[in-house]
Amino acid sequence: MTRPVRVAVAGNPNVGKTSLFNLLTGSRYKVGNYPGITVETREGSLRAAGATAAGAPAPVLVDLPGTYSLTPFAEDEAVAFRTLTGIRGERRPDAVLLVLDASNLARNLYLALQVFELGLPCVVALNMVDLARDAGVGVEPELLAAALGVPVVATVARTGEGLDELAACLGQLEPGAGTEPRLVEPGADQPALRGCLAELEAGAELRGARARWLLAAEAAGQLELCGASPVEREQLARLEPGAVADAIRELVELRYAEVDRLLAELPTAELPAAERGPSDRAGRSKLAGDDSRAPAMRRSAKIDAVLTHRVLGPLTFLLVMALIFQSIFSWADPIMGWIEAGVGALSGLVADVLGPGLFTDLLTEGVLAGVGNVVVFVPQIALLFLFIGLLEDSGYMARAAFIIDRLMARVGLNGKAFVPLLSGYACAIPAIMSTRTISSFKDRVVTILMIPYMSCSARLPVYTLLIGALFVANARVLGPFTSGGLILLSMYLLSTLSALALGAIYKRTLLVSPTPPLVLELPPYRLPRVRDTLRQVWDRTADFLRDAGTIILAVTIVLWGLLSFPRVDEAELGPGETAIEHSVAGRVGKALEPALEPIGQDWRMGIGLIGSFAAREVMVSTLGLVYGIENADEDDAPLREVIREAEAEDGSPRYTKLSGLALMVFFVYACQCMSTLAVVRRETRSWRWPAFMLVSMTVIAYLAALVVFQGGRLLGLG
Amino acid sequence: MTLDELDLGQRAQVRAVTGRGSMSVRLLEMGFVPGVEVALVKRAPLGDPLELRLRGYHVSLRRAEARRVEISGVGA
Repeated sequence: MTRPVRVAVAGNPNVGKTSLFNLLTGSRYKVGNYPGITVETREGSLRAAGATAAGAPAPVLVDLPGTYSLTPFAEDEAVAFRTLTGIRGERRPDAVLLVLDASNLARNLYLALQVFELGLPCVVALNMVDLARDAGVGVEPELLAAALGVPVVATVARTGEGLDELAACLGQLEPGAGTEPRLVEPGADQPALRGCLAELEAGAELRGARARWLLAAEAAGQLELCGASPVEREQLARLEPGAVADAIRELVELRYAEVDRLLAELPTAELPAAERGPSDRAGRSKLAGDDSRAPAMRRSAKIDAVLTHRVLGPLTFLLVMALIFQSIFSWADPIMGWIEAGVGALSGLVADVLGPGLFTDLLTEGVLAGVGNVVVFVPQIALLFLFIGLLEDSGYMARAAFIIDRLMARVGLNGKAFVPLLSGYACAIPAIMSTRTISSFKDRVVTILMIPYMSCSARLPVYTLLIGALFVANARVLGPFTSGGLILLSMYLLSTLSALALGAIYKRTLLVSPTPPLVLELPPYRLPRVRDTLRQVWDRTADFLRDAGTIILAVTIVLWGLLSFPRVDEAELGPGETAIEHSVAGRVGKALEPALEPIGQDWRMGIGLIGSFAAREVMVSTLGLVYGIENADEDDAPLREVIREAEAEDGSPRYTKLSGLALMVFFVYACQCMSTLAVVRRETRSWRWPAFMLVSMTVIAYLAALVVFQGGRLLGLG
Repeated sequence: MTLDELDLGQRAQVRAVTGRGSMSVRLLEMGFVPGVEVALVKRAPLGDPLELRLRGYHVSLRRAEARRVEISGVGA
């Protein structure tokens, strides 16, 4: 049997590439990760494959990240480049499905020219022809096909128009049928390009299309991303940098001149007279690049009059962000409650059926609790990705980045880091997963390192327990403000400022890279295709369950073991003793006491800290176990009481306001969350960053708590 | 004159992209080639970045990046 034809699906961002891919494959695809980095490619068989020759397998489509050109500037574009050019042992595709935005050929055709340089058969999907027609810039596909010399099919992903024709076109492709690369050749007006290409082609390695791509990558300083070989690098390094810069300018100008030549030959639907600007010159195409009007943006410009308005813009931005935050902070809550109740009921059932015993405990407190710990994140992850997907696909996310960029640039990040950071206030897990929209790996890692400092909702039960136990929470301090409220507010402020400061530091030390440039397309607004968004929500959730979920489950079981073994007979316990004291965690807590004392804590809090590594809020139930109070996580009033009344051996209070404050500050900084570490491993594809995160956060937390406790004592507090 | 000095609603022709490196190549490939008409559509609410229109689409650049684009023939 012949192997299936592999077709790479390429195109600019925002051209509806993924929608077309989903329609062509019937949304049956595998999500593949590029080795070493989390840039996704999707791969699926053509569903409507009726047109393939008898016996031939259906073509396989590979959806690539969107890219404006074949010069990679970030990891996602590098994946597109490497897959298309097929270097370093990867199989080159047999053909390319190039998706073009029919309403913006003046920019889209630049990538088309580069795709023609690949020397692969190409089929063009002229997508969103409906919008182009509405905007008065419709192009006849036959004419474009004649101009480009490749088959062109007009499509509308929304309605499915042109899909069958496109599938038929793809079905006729044959494996291994290369074509002659179509190269732009420098003329007398391009001396630098001619010189550089001649010099490169004198060597053995670099010639033709690859010489042109790598020349651009060399000029952009992005050879690393291209996976250039040492020989290629050596050859490029011999060129004079000034000549390379000139050559690239000439090369890009040459390609755009070709784009303009193509467009000038294409007759387009006439624009109404009112749309003609004064700069319209007779005989010039409405599409040509030197006409700066953007007909496809006419409707969007009206929407932007509100959404990026000087005053209304930021207001809408705040409203949208508040909505996202609200959804993951509180709308997810009832669903999470049901999941917890469900897991609880299941545990009860297992306990009833099996009767008390070690195996029952392992199942209920280890395995089932672990499954619960994983599944409980699903509502937040799904909601966050639903919102992000809808906002991305509608075109609003680009506007949000446009509005907030100024502030984010101060930290050295771009506007796309805002949503992940904001989501961090609800939960670091979905927030860290959502950093995938940031294309530079270093900037992603900086954002990932900042997120766990944002005060997530799991810290709230700890703060309220300590404030309730050690402070008079309702005491009025200033007008309507109570001391409890103010302490809580200062914890949030501390966490936010610390995250921003540490982000700025990491960006300048550990992960030095220039502030990412903002060359951000503001695409026309479009109604998102909800099915595509839901598909993506499902992909992300399944990915979390599969990969991070296993780690979380395993660590839950280990933590249960640490808190339960060795087991002791209840009859042997002394007065006031609880079983947890004799467990491994209990012993570690006691061994840690000398280190905990300087920050105002005792071994009991130490056990709580070990238990809360499962999740911060588990601090409350673990302390409950230490003090022999059941269900402390449901009603923490008895536990508050005990903590307030607890006395040290000399009769003084065991916990003071100052030690409570020190513990809260510890929780602001400490990485008491194994799920965060599991997700960071998933997203960075190594244990290096989670290890760094755990160690750095714990050290910072300890030092901060030390400063608070010892400083407070010096000042005579506590 | 450079692109960041345009007034709102003004158009001009790109003369050249100055400087070298990643940003220059990206600007060229996004269509900022000599002769192309660019208009300043809007400034972001905080004054930066800028929203520009060229080659039938809208793109946002920071002022610092727009400064690399030399322009001429400014008009309304």
